[in-house]
Amino acid sequence: MINALRSYPLLMAWSWLSNRPLMWFRGAVQILMTIGFVIGLSFIFPDITPPIARHLVTGAPTLILLTMGLVFVPQMVASDRLRGTYDFMLSLPVPRMALLASDATIFFLLTLPAIIIALWIGSVYHDFTLQVSPLVIPTFLFISITGTFVGYALALAVPRPQMATVATQIILFIITLFSPVIYPVEQLPDWMAAIHRVLPIQYMADLSRGTLSDIDVNMGLAFAVTGAWCVASFLFCYIVMKKRS
Amino acid sequence: MLLETKDIYKTYRKGKVIANGGISLSVEKGEIFGLLGPNGAGKTTLVKQIIGLAKPDSGSITVDGVDAVANPGYARQICSFQSQTQAPTVGLTPLQAIQLVGKIRGGKTAEVKRRTHELIDRLQMKEWENTIGLNSTGGVQRLVSFCMAVVVPGSIVILDEPTNDIDPLRRRLLWQEVQEVAEMGSAVLLVTHNVLEAERVVNRLAIIDQGKVKGVGTPAELKTGRNNSMRMELILEPGRTIQELPDFLAESIISNRRILAKVSQDRIPEALEQANRYRNDGIIEEFSLSPTTLEDVYISMVGRIEDESITEEVAA
Repeated sequence: MINALRSYPLLMAWSWLSNRPLMWFRGAVQILMTIGFVIGLSFIFPDITPPIARHLVTGAPTLILLTMGLVFVPQMVASDRLRGTYDFMLSLPVPRMALLASDATIFFLLTLPAIIIALWIGSVYHDFTLQVSPLVIPTFLFISITGTFVGYALALAVPRPQMATVATQIILFIITLFSPVIYPVEQLPDWMAAIHRVLPIQYMADLSRGTLSDIDVNMGLAFAVTGAWCVASFLFCYIVMKKRS
Repeated sequence: MLLETKDIYKTYRKGKVIANGGISLSVEKGEIFGLLGPNGAGKTTLVKQIIGLAKPDSGSITVDGVDAVANPGYARQICSFQSQTQAPTVGLTPLQAIQLVGKIRGGKTAEVKRRTHELIDRLQMKEWENTIGLNSTGGVQRLVSFCMAVVVPGSIVILDEPTNDIDPLRRRLLWQEVQEVAEMGSAVLLVTHNVLEAERVVNRLAIIDQGKVKGVGTPAELKTGRNNSMRMELILEPGRTIQELPDFLAESIISNRRILAKVSQDRIPEALEQANRYRNDGIIEEFSLSPTTLEDVYISMVGRIEDESITEEVAA
């Protein structure tokens, strides 16, 4: 435990500094995409009203966190596996979970500017007021960690790292177009809605909306399902990272 | 013994590929032990098992008296490892990378700082110490990886091909550092296929091929048995061939215009006479006769120079 606490900030420094150019670029792209999204809503829905805008914009943090966790994280881990970096990190005398925790922290911090900017510009541009709950930071941290764990698990589960990179393209497509984040689940076909009752995406969006507005969501269910995914993906990562080839 | 492996078996693809077929070796404190073998011999697989990235099918690994197969975490504490692949330091300067890994390895800040500057000075890397993103400079990056492995050396230091891409001057400096690390009390396991360099630096070595140990001992011990012979090297004139090599040029290896062969002591006069005849006839450009080297032993055990098969056939 002492080793984990001592190595955690050092590993964070290593993760950040060793990939600094890519991290800055990724952070900047996140911000630009987010601004594009919240402003672009007016082009997709010319008659958008403040309540609808509030519904969409308060779901945006989930999109940002999931893009980071399920797209960027698997791509990073796949690239690390290909370059031998992953084996190098595993050869260091630090607990595996300190490695995972340091990466999860970096990825969360990397999304924060984009989330703040999205909410600020979105609420001003579309003229609505956010009702921010004190639980907002732990909730976003929770969503982010779950996304990172699932992304890590995905990158470690595939036999060849390149497969993870291809899978992220499909995931991005599903998250943005076929997930009940920017529209209600009722608009999806029944079979797809059934799948989403098990997947964590809509529940993450509920958590996001529930801590940023007074929109009525079932926070208990959302925490339970997202939590189940968080624990399951963490256990999967733990087992795979401990496993020796 | 600080490091001991006994009868390590490791297979892949449900036993179809045998990476290690019963490897036993030991390295003691202060010793530099070479693990030599061609590409794909099973060297890196063995190292991965020592540091707990892979698990043997059977056999035992002991580091500092502790079962490393059962306690991979302990093995990682004891072993510092330079990987064959480059460490990821795109956004870091050499100073930052070495110091950060030193601290991650448990070193005290002041001591890590002192040791980092010492290594940078000794390996003449000062001009790059504050340069970010050295990945394009393979040799410098390799030196940084080496420093990362030895800044806070473990009781066991494992170096996998540490001199790849490094210029000849700094290679010498690096070997001096490896010796220094051993003198400080670490057991050094040096993985390489560079026989000539290894001969100068190792105390003992094992030659492995196709997952099996072909020979273990000091360079002198391994050369024993070949002391009654010398090696002759013939360089063919361009476009010339030798239809049939005489029998006193034994165990010949032909690589383009170069022919290497073993000559027993009692047949040296014949060999010299024949070589002179080849030269006078314009068949060869030059020849040399020299004592047996570790490379000769290596080639006779491994049976090839990387992809060049030993052949008794005619040079073409």
